[in-house]
Amino acid sequence: MSIGGRRAQLEGLAFVAPFLLLYAVILIYPLVAGVVISFHRADLFGARTFVGLENYGRLIGDPVFHQALINTFKLTILIVPPLTAITLVLALALNKRSRSAAFFRGLFFSSSVLSVTIVTLIWRFILTPDAGLVAEVLEAVGREPIPFLSDPDLTIPALAVTTVWWSLGLPMMLFLAGLQQIPEEIYEAAALDRAGRWTTFWRVTLPSLRRTMLLVIMLQTAAQLQLFGQAQLLTAGGPSGASRPVVLLIYEMSFARWELGYATAAAEVLFMLVLTVTLIQYMTASRRWEG
Amino acid sequence: MASLELINIQKTYGATAVLDDVSLRMEPREFVAFLGPSGSGKSTLLRIIAGLETLDSGEVRLEGRPIQQLAPGDRGVAMVFQHYALYPHMTVWENMAFGLRNARMPKDEIASRIAEAARVLEIEEHLDKKPGQMSGGQRQRVAIGRAIVKQPKLFLLDEPLSNLDAALRMRTRLELAQLRHRVDAAVIMVTHDQAEAMTLADRIVVIHDHKIQQAGPPMEIYSRPANSFVARFVGSPAMTLAPVQLLPAESPFASVRLGDGSEVETRVPRSGLPAEGALELGLRPESVRVAPAGAASTVARVELVERLGDRTFVYARLSDGLSITAEDEGNSRVRMGETVGLRIDGTDAHLFAPDGAGYHAAPAA
Amino acid sequence: MSLGAWIGVGIGAAIMAAPLLWTLLLSLKANAELMRDSGAAFSAPYTLENYRSILQGSSLVQWLLNSVIVSGGTTLGVLTLCSLAGYAFARLEFPFRRTLFAFVLLGLAIPEQAVILPQHQLFAQLGLHNSYPGLILPGLVGPFGVFFMTQYFKAIPKELDEAAMLDGASRFTLFWKVLLPLTLPAQATLGVFTFLASWNSYWWPLISATRSEMFTLTVGLASAQMNYAQTSGLGFLMAQAVFASLPILIVYIIFQKQIVRAMAGASVR
Repeated sequence: MSIGGRRAQLEGLAFVAPFLLLYAVILIYPLVAGVVISFHRADLFGARTFVGLENYGRLIGDPVFHQALINTFKLTILIVPPLTAITLVLALALNKRSRSAAFFRGLFFSSSVLSVTIVTLIWRFILTPDAGLVAEVLEAVGREPIPFLSDPDLTIPALAVTTVWWSLGLPMMLFLAGLQQIPEEIYEAAALDRAGRWTTFWRVTLPSLRRTMLLVIMLQTAAQLQLFGQAQLLTAGGPSGASRPVVLLIYEMSFARWELGYATAAAEVLFMLVLTVTLIQYMTASRRWEG
Repeated sequence: MASLELINIQKTYGATAVLDDVSLRMEPREFVAFLGPSGSGKSTLLRIIAGLETLDSGEVRLEGRPIQQLAPGDRGVAMVFQHYALYPHMTVWENMAFGLRNARMPKDEIASRIAEAARVLEIEEHLDKKPGQMSGGQRQRVAIGRAIVKQPKLFLLDEPLSNLDAALRMRTRLELAQLRHRVDAAVIMVTHDQAEAMTLADRIVVIHDHKIQQAGPPMEIYSRPANSFVARFVGSPAMTLAPVQLLPAESPFASVRLGDGSEVETRVPRSGLPAEGALELGLRPESVRVAPAGAASTVARVELVERLGDRTFVYARLSDGLSITAEDEGNSRVRMGETVGLRIDGTDAHLFAPDGAGYHAAPAA
Repeated sequence: MSLGAWIGVGIGAAIMAAPLLWTLLLSLKANAELMRDSGAAFSAPYTLENYRSILQGSSLVQWLLNSVIVSGGTTLGVLTLCSLAGYAFARLEFPFRRTLFAFVLLGLAIPEQAVILPQHQLFAQLGLHNSYPGLILPGLVGPFGVFFMTQYFKAIPKELDEAAMLDGASRFTLFWKVLLPLTLPAQATLGVFTFLASWNSYWWPLISATRSEMFTLTVGLASAQMNYAQTSGLGFLMAQAVFASLPILIVYIIFQKQIVRAMAGASVR
């Protein structure tokens, strides 16, 4: 019989095997290997000594790791709320069928397709005090240039601004998609109920965007907890670690200090943080919302 | 030689029976309609014949050859799907050629078969279009064309008219009626629309509850329903079924009394009826006429009046609460809420035993 | 849109566009002039000299070629693997189908940083660093494409499969001639998305390609950026940035719809 025979079963497996094989070897095996390595004192070149939870114990007492965690949280808090607010406003303003709205949407999205290297290259020469655009403008009005990339109080805000500029596109598009899904009748009903523009926004539009808002916040939080390239390229985590996020620390631990076991342990801790955020997003997304 | 033979077909999904011991034999070039409510198993039966479903036991033979082990494409059957299932990325021509190419047919043979089918179906000017550029009726004809070019021994039509609007449906019905005279093959059509089945089929197979309830020519299904399910399912408005009491009498025909006390003399021979148990009387609307007080055998309260122009159906309730459907003239003056007289004519009435089996007037000599 | 909203959008757009324009202006200036004062970028004379230097034997051309090979290879690989797997998960019955699909979905929750160090170890053992396969392979195992293609195959009416079976099509003909052509829109979306992600990926090529001739554009530009202090060619550097973003901006302009749809789809998963 042609349906459901033994041969068809093997065919099915043959179709999925190429992906599953690579998936298991290149993604799942490293995931498990990472946990194992984190229990070892290990270097980049294969030496391994089992040390149990020692790496995790070290992390708890390591001020450098603490600083990196705090930097990561600071960056997340400086990036996610402004990014959410700005993209929501942009989406509201650009939710039109006109050509100009389409042009502006294209413009605000365009930075998202650039690689982190190009973004940092661009922003380096916006922010750097000796040749940057901001310095030029300040000079024109007779002010001193500001050392955004070397003042320990300014490096994190500088990274945040760069990241917000880079990340506008996706959340804006998600909000636009969310706005498209609000049925026109609700607005007509609100108009019949004599709701003003402000009331309509607070009572109709915003509640309807709750799911999208949550999605944006969770996605961006998960993304910014893993912020890496901007910090590595713009500030190199400096001065003296003042702008070093966790992923950059992990990178330095493994490729500058060759402490692979310790770096992996830090990576597992961060993974748990990101996983928590991802799981919250899954659970809230799959839960049914009234209204 | 028979065209299609189904022998003791058995099919279950897990613990649920879908088809229970179904057997059927089709004559060459016969047009058979599988009629039944949704979930009756009629579509499953069609798909088993096509090879799209496996069967648990039984045999499917086409022109004497067992085909249940063959792949769908090797069975010599062609199918017109409910939603046409045309390949959206292929032109009309390619749609029709696809099956022939898979069969490795010579190119000029393919071309001539398609040209012929396109001519017959009047879709010649659409051959280079994609299905998305065509209307529903045109797509329907392409789907038929794709079946015709294969020159199958058996056509399978799965609810072929259900996706068309009312006007197009009448026209396509006519085309399907013509189709069967053009092709040298038997046809099976699955439908839940009895008018479609009555118009097109040589024989209707009423399927319900995983079984064939009755198989026969349309008028036999209508006038001699094998059981109370067929009686209720075929005919619109549906037959009235009333619990009745058999009256003792000398006559060779059964006389019965309805719940409201009125009596009906049927032409159903008394001799064959079961001795025990409650009978049900089956009355088509045309056997129950609205009548003036003198000619009426009972009275009823009118609940709904359905005016069709040439005649009027009156849905009414007898004094014992029984719902009954009656017929009246096209210009009937009956109105909702009124009480009217009804004259019940027992000549074409049916009787049903407690097991559902139907008893009918002796056929006219 | 009201006047106030227009003004707001206008200011936002200016802030958005200013860095891009500034970069473009810098790239069009002679390096020596910018050495004295980068403010010179606001006034003529402009020159294409920096772009000419790029085309005349800078490493950028080699890096561009590497990026094209790596991103193209990744895209082809992802489309092939995900189409096969998506078709099977959507249409075929085989042992452990549901379990395996759940196993693949699990991968959606794994961030790069959780696996990249062991991956680096694994690829070192396999001797794959500083090679095209080494740069391509990690890009092939993202589960999103499998999920995406499975959903798309599922949305194709089963009646089409059945019609093809009655038309005598073999399993391969059914897949190749009937179903696969119908997934072209999904292939375009997934393809563009994969290409973009691969083109812009930074961390893996940074640690895997350590020899300059194997750099992708992204990594190469990072190294140029970090060596800026030694080269002091600001205009040349910015010309590199513009040059490197051109291919991706062209892809973006052509496939804008697919990119937006893919990114939204990838996040709503």
